[in-house]
Amino acid sequence: MLPAFKLLEPNTIEEACRIALDTDGMFLAGATDIFVAMHGGALFPETLISLAKIDALRDIRKTDQGIFIGALTPHRYFEFNQVMKTRYTAIHEGCAQVGSPQIRNRGTIGGNLCNGAPSADSAGPLLVFDAVCVIVGAAYERTLPLREFYLGPKKTALRKGELLKSIYLPEPVSRSASRYIKFTRRNAMDLALLGVSAYLALDDSGGIADARLALTTAGPTPIRAGEAERRLIGHKPCDSLFSEAAAIAENESLPRTSWRSSKEFRLKLVKSLTEKALREAFERI
Amino acid sequence: MDWRDVTVYVNGDEYTKTIPVQMTLAEFLRDELFLTGTKIGCNEGECGACTVILDGVAVNSCLVLAVHADGKNVLTIEGVSEGELHPLQQAFLDAGAVQCGFCTPGMIMTAKALLDRDPAPSREVIRKEIEGNLCRCTGYNRIIDAVEKAALMLQKR
Ligand SMILES: Cc1cc2nc3c(=O)[nH]c(=O)nc-3n(C[C@H](O)[C@H](O)[C@H](O)COP(=O)(O)OP(=O)(O)OC[C@H]3O[C@@H](n4cnc5c(N)ncnc54)[C@H](O)[C@@H]3O)c2cc1C
Ligand code: FES
Ligand code: FES
Repeated sequence: MLPAFKLLEPNTIEEACRIALDTDGMFLAGATDIFVAMHGGALFPETLISLAKIDALRDIRKTDQGIFIGALTPHRYFEFNQVMKTRYTAIHEGCAQVGSPQIRNRGTIGGNLCNGAPSADSAGPLLVFDAVCVIVGAAYERTLPLREFYLGPKKTALRKGELLKSIYLPEPVSRSASRYIKFTRRNAMDLALLGVSAYLALDDSGGIADARLALTTAGPTPIRAGEAERRLIGHKPCDSLFSEAAAIAENESLPRTSWRSSKEFRLKLVKSLTEKALREAFERI
Repeated sequence: MDWRDVTVYVNGDEYTKTIPVQMTLAEFLRDELFLTGTKIGCNEGECGACTVILDGVAVNSCLVLAVHADGKNVLTIEGVSEGELHPLQQAFLDAGAVQCGFCTPGMIMTAKALLDRDPAPSREVIRKEIEGNLCRCTGYNRIIDAVEKAALMLQKR
């Protein structure tokens, strides 16, 4: 059995936040990160605050400008949903590569972000779609761009008593496309050794109107490669431009050596995968 | 310890038990209901031996609390046969997809969830779908053969 804990199962967001404020309880979503840590002896929470009974965290709501997706939405949704496949392709590609079908049926988008892992497969793709976090506390709600959500390794901008309610995704413009490349040592059930997400939008004359790049496992947190993006915007897309931007992205990344890979290899990957992701995003437009 | 009363519908039968909250669904099935077809390999979501179908979707029962199955339907390997062997079980035998058999219940539950959703999956789709089920014996090809065979058998019904 898992180490003993006290289980609380609030029915509303307000109740969940209040409990989190008053106790040292930890939110429990799909449990695919928490139980692995508990089973491995790395985590012994006294209290778990299950979010399972809070239906409001499963809401998916379309507006004119975009879509709100509840934090409890499992990866499987992004894997199968047609809008995700066609308009938010990189997010679909990221979530469809998390663990296995069994993990994707339980693991949630909120848990993937709040766990704070630099390798989270949804993080880079969400970053290039300019995702916004809707965060709630006991008596308030605030929004924060995902870019500002990650503060350090395993550290997010969530304060005590706050939970992630949903993710807001602005509607992508019409002449745009995206690509997520996850580099792993084997084809299944592996965390990203490096992840590159690219989003490109073209103007009427075929120039790059908007470019966004995100890198995962290329530093202590998922990051946007802002300088590389600026190099791309306003220019005609071509291989040499992509290659130049990729070299800048390599400079912007801060990978470290881990048992999965050396820092040097990760830097080489940033360069080659950024080029590839840009090229393949462009080919999709 | 924090205890709860739960009622879980397993293979169509209703079971009510009082259990500690930290008990996983895999432990509940094996130790409370003595349904030992569901295997525990890693207890951390890596091997898929504990796969069951919870309200229609395949899950690792080692990563689900038994209390979170309260009021829900669980299908385990013990519940798939309908008098005679289920086509998946028959096809696994016919294709030589069972060696030591430890992975087989989990493989069959994953495959069943797939065929319930997509009755005619390609080999590629089958291969991807069983990515969370490890097999140390067969080399996987015969398992994929078996799922294909079972799909054909089910389509002929
Ligand atoms: C076998 C296996 C393979 C995996 N493979 C991958 C992979 O390939 N790629 C990948 O990215 N991940 C992978 N993971 C990790 C994990 O499945 C994902 O990170 C998943 O999305 C976590 O979501 P969860 O709902 O299970 O989170 P939980 O484990 O329930 O929670 C994780 C953390 O987030 C917090 N939390 C959850 N929801 C909220 C909320 N709404 N507000 C505030 N805090 C919250 C919890 O308190 C906890 O700290 C894998 C895990 C396993 C077991
Ligand atoms: S025992 Fe559950 S996945 Fe291995
Ligand atoms: S038959 Fe032995 S593990 Fe698959």
